[in-house]
Amino acid sequence: MSGVIDEKTGEILLFHPEVARCPQPVYAELRSKCPVGRAQITASPVVSRFEDVVWALRHPEIFSSEMGEQMKLGNPRPMIPQQIDPPNQTRYRRLLDPLFSRKRMLELTPAVRRHANQLIDAFAGAGRCEFDEAFAIPLPCTAFLALFGLPASDLPTFLEMKDGIIRPHKFLDPPKDASLAEMAAHIDLQNAHRKKTADRMFTYFEEEIEKNASAHRDDLLGALLEAEMDGEKLTREELLDICFLLLIAGLDTVTATLGCNIAYLAANPEQRRRIVDQPKLIPGAVEELLRWETPVTAVPRIAKCDTTLRDFEIKKGEVVTFLIGAANTDDDHFKRAQDVDFERERNIHLAFGAGPHRCLGSHLARMELQVAMEEWHRRIPDYRIQAGETPMFSPGIREVMYLPLEWDV
Amino acid sequence: MRVRLDEAKCVGHGRCYVLGPDVYEEDDAGHCVVRVSDVPRELEDQARAGEQNCPEGALEIEE
Repeated sequence: MSGVIDEKTGEILLFHPEVARCPQPVYAELRSKCPVGRAQITASPVVSRFEDVVWALRHPEIFSSEMGEQMKLGNPRPMIPQQIDPPNQTRYRRLLDPLFSRKRMLELTPAVRRHANQLIDAFAGAGRCEFDEAFAIPLPCTAFLALFGLPASDLPTFLEMKDGIIRPHKFLDPPKDASLAEMAAHIDLQNAHRKKTADRMFTYFEEEIEKNASAHRDDLLGALLEAEMDGEKLTREELLDICFLLLIAGLDTVTATLGCNIAYLAANPEQRRRIVDQPKLIPGAVEELLRWETPVTAVPRIAKCDTTLRDFEIKKGEVVTFLIGAANTDDDHFKRAQDVDFERERNIHLAFGAGPHRCLGSHLARMELQVAMEEWHRRIPDYRIQAGETPMFSPGIREVMYLPLEWDV
Repeated sequence: MRVRLDEAKCVGHGRCYVLGPDVYEEDDAGHCVVRVSDVPRELEDQARAGEQNCPEGALEIEE
C-alpha cells in the first residue's frame, strides 16, 4: 500500500510525493486495483494500463489534444502542433518533422559533446556537484538556444520563463497543511503566474521574429520564418504558437530525464559499472531508463464523446490523464517489466508518446541523452549520492530538483 | 524474409533505422523507408529488431 489510493473515496492522489520519488510500485497498484480511476481535486479519470493508453494516444478523434480552456498554461491560443488534432495537425507536422529529423539532430552532436565537457570541466576537480543545476539544466537548454539561433546569454531569461509556466511552484510557496479549498486557491495563483510569464514569452519571441523578419538565418528560427505551408508563409500567430510549444517542451523534459537517469545509476552501482565498462550499452540504457523512469509521467487528453473504458464511464468534455509511466511498466506488455535491462530486445515504450502526437523532439532528446551519458561516464565513472543527502523529485514532470553527487578525485 | 511497411501507421519514431540501418533508412521527415524488402539472411536480425521495436506496429515480416 503506497497511500496513493485514498482508502475511503478510492480517489487517486496523483501529486502524492511517492509518485514522484518511487513511482513504479504505485503504478503497479493502480494497474491492478483501479486501471481507470479518478484523481483527487481535479476529478480527472486516470488510465494506467499500456493497452488502454496506447489505444487512446492513437485515437485523437475520441481522446483529443484540443484542450481549449482546460489546459491552462497561459497561452491565448492552442500550442502548435501539440494542442491541435489531425488533419490540421498533420499539416504542421509535415513542416516541422524535417526540422527535427534524426539526421538534422545528429549534426548538433559535436556542439552538445563540447558543451557537456565544458560543464564537467567546471566541477570535475571539486569531487562534487548538484547535478540538476550544474549539468542537467544548462546542457539541454543551451543546445536548444543554439538550435533556435538565440544567444546563449539569454539562458537565465529562458529558464525563468519555462519554469514560470511549467513549474510556477518554484516561485510560489504552496500553503502548508492546506484544505482542499486553499489548495484550489493556490492553483488559481499558479495559473495567474503562468499567464503573466506566457505574456512575457510571447513578447520575447515577437521581438525576435520582428528583428529577423527579413534576415536569412541558418537556424530553426530562420527555417520557421521561411517555411511555407500549402504555398503560404506561417502567420505571426502561428510562429508564436510554435515557438511557445518548443520552449515549453524542449527544455524541461531532457533536464528531467538526465536527472532521473543519473539518480538511478547513482543508486544502482552494478548497473552503472556495466555502462562504464561497455559504453556501447548506452543507447539501450537510454531507452530502458526512459521506460523505467518515464520522467514525463502522464499526458492529458479531452474526451470528445461519452465513452466507457474498463466499465468506467468517461463523460464528453472530461480531461483524462493517461499515465505513461504506468503503461511503461505494465507486465502485460513487457517481459520482465519490473527488471531494468539495458539489453532488452523488444522495448516499445511510450516515453515519447505514440500516434500522431509522437514527441516532435524525440530525436533531439535521444541524441542529447546519449551524448550526456557517454561524456559523463567517461569523465566521472564512479559517483554516488552525497553521504546523508536524499535526492528530491518534483511531481508531474519528474525533475530531480536536488541531486547532490560526489566522487573521488 | 520479406519486410513490409504500412506507411499510414509510421509517425517517425525512428527505431527501425536506428536498430536496423542496413534494412531501413529515414526520409527527410524522419519517417521509415525500407531499403531492402527482400531481406538477405545476414540482415534478418536487423529487420527483426526494427519490426519488434516499432511503437506503431507499422512493420510486418513474412518468413
